[in-house]
Amino acid sequence: LGLCTLRHGAAGQGQSTPAACSPQCRCDEDGGADCSGKGLSTVPAGLSAFTYYLDLSMNNITELPANVFRNLTYLEELRLAGNDLVFIHPEALSGLHQLKVLMLQNNQLKTVPSAALKNLHALQSLRLDANHITTVPEGSFDSLQQLRHLWLDDNNLTEVPVGPLQHQGNLQALTLALNRISHVPDGAFANLSGLVVLHLHNNRIQEMGKNCFSGLDNLETLDLNFNNLKSFPEAIQTLPKLKELGFHSNNIAIIPEGAFLKNPLLRTIHLYDNPLSFVGRSAFQNLSDLHALMLRGANMVQDFPSLTGTGNLESLTLTGTKIRVIPADMCEDLSVLRTLDLSYNEIEELPSFQGCMRLQDITLQHNNIQQIDHHTFQGLTSLRVLDLSRNQLRFIYHDAFLSLSALTNLDLSANSLASVPTAGLSALSQLKLTGNPAMRSSLSAKSLPKLRSISVPYAYQCCAFMACDSTPSSSERDDRTKAVDAEMERVPLVVHCSPSPGAFKPCTHLLGSWMI
Amino acid sequence: STDGPASCSSGCESCSEYNGCTKCRPRLFILLERNDIRQTGVCLATCPVGYYGIRNRDVNRCTQCKIENCVDCFSRTFCAKCKEGLYSHSGRCYHSCPEGLSTINSTMEC
Repeated sequence: LGLCTLRHGAAGQGQSTPAACSPQCRCDEDGGADCSGKGLSTVPAGLSAFTYYLDLSMNNITELPANVFRNLTYLEELRLAGNDLVFIHPEALSGLHQLKVLMLQNNQLKTVPSAALKNLHALQSLRLDANHITTVPEGSFDSLQQLRHLWLDDNNLTEVPVGPLQHQGNLQALTLALNRISHVPDGAFANLSGLVVLHLHNNRIQEMGKNCFSGLDNLETLDLNFNNLKSFPEAIQTLPKLKELGFHSNNIAIIPEGAFLKNPLLRTIHLYDNPLSFVGRSAFQNLSDLHALMLRGANMVQDFPSLTGTGNLESLTLTGTKIRVIPADMCEDLSVLRTLDLSYNEIEELPSFQGCMRLQDITLQHNNIQQIDHHTFQGLTSLRVLDLSRNQLRFIYHDAFLSLSALTNLDLSANSLASVPTAGLSALSQLKLTGNPAMRSSLSAKSLPKLRSISVPYAYQCCAFMACDSTPSSSERDDRTKAVDAEMERVPLVVHCSPSPGAFKPCTHLLGSWMI
Repeated sequence: STDGPASCSSGCESCSEYNGCTKCRPRLFILLERNDIRQTGVCLATCPVGYYGIRNRDVNRCTQCKIENCVDCFSRTFCAKCKEGLYSHSGRCYHSCPEGLSTINSTMEC
């Protein structure tokens, strides 16, 4: 491996001449030299002039003297990550006219080594993340006209380096995350028309100028998560191409009307972990590429948000609000919806979900729903999970579950039901009915052939689903034989039923309560 | 487990015999390498090819780059280096440039 032959395009007389390699490195035939993790404190000598890739990461190099890479004119990638670099001489990188990738992350630099960068005209990727940079001198990147990707995250910047960035029209990806930036001024990124990704997460941003993102005509991803924003980032209105937006874990209380009007291409919006109290009804309209919307704890919201024009939503979570009514035409807008979580609201009545044919999972727990009509879940042949626990259900239409042929999990616990219709529940494997004290009648296992787990209000109701070992008295035996006669063929036993009957919980319902 | 810097690999703060490094020194990325059913932690200043680093307050992680035809991701949604012979545009890789865009062969961009 010690030989480095000529790389295509490298100057030479056509004859492959054995090129040198430093004893502390491993060189490959393509001109790559790996000297990483060797405990080096200086750049090793004796490297081939045709080296195009040099990895010096994870050593103990503290400074780069002048002209240290002078003869490596073919170098395209230089890795110095994970050293203890404190100082880079202004002439340290001279001669590297073909350098495309420079990795200086995980060092001890306190400022951007702007003088040393000045001749790297071919540089495309510059990593300065995980240093201790507090300042970015003016003009630091001016000569780097081919720069595409810049990492400045995990440093000590207290402001956006507006001046140094102003000539970076070719820059496409920039991270300033994990710094101490508290304010983003207007025009901060004015000339970065090529920028596609901007990460500002984990800073201390409290306010942003209304025009702080103007000029970012091609920005697609903006990450503002984990900041101290007090108000909705209205500045996003100047980002017509935005697709991914994150501002979760901030202090935003209000999502205004028409919040995303100017961002029609949005696919994902992460806004959880904000003390939301109000969401404008029109905030989420006309977002035809939005696939998921999660709104938790907007406790002052009373109206169901309008989702017209947001027809490709597959998952909607809207919990912890004061919403009482779900619009009857909700499913007209949400025909491809697959999961719907409207738990912990104040919903009293359900519309028909018939138009939402692809629904697989509905969670409506912890509302004030009193009745399920025959059309409520009609046509939902893909529905697998339905949670209606902790409502005020008194009545369910006998054919309410008729078309739920794929339903496997049904939770009706903690309601006021006296009975439960089982027609259509041929695929049900888990049924929860505890907390319905009025439901005293025994249940029939026959119509639930796939049942594997059931929880019932009273232990005796388990007897229909499992072999009961208690020795019934003569009168109880009569009741049992009647029950057995009523169930013609042998029903497969349920794997688990609770509360399971036993010595103190006989299979007979005695004097109004099995406890006596 | 033999927790203790002396027996741990480079850049590691605590490790175990079975899982290698379980906590890296600050600001280094942890890469979970899979060996059959076992996962072994390794600490790096640069994630290997096919992975990119996600920095956060509590842990920095090497994460698999899942962008089609991408060799080196800048982030989950942006490719910094496409496979040989492909053109890059807005952080994605193309065999031929999208309609309305022409190719720049010197930088393999659209």
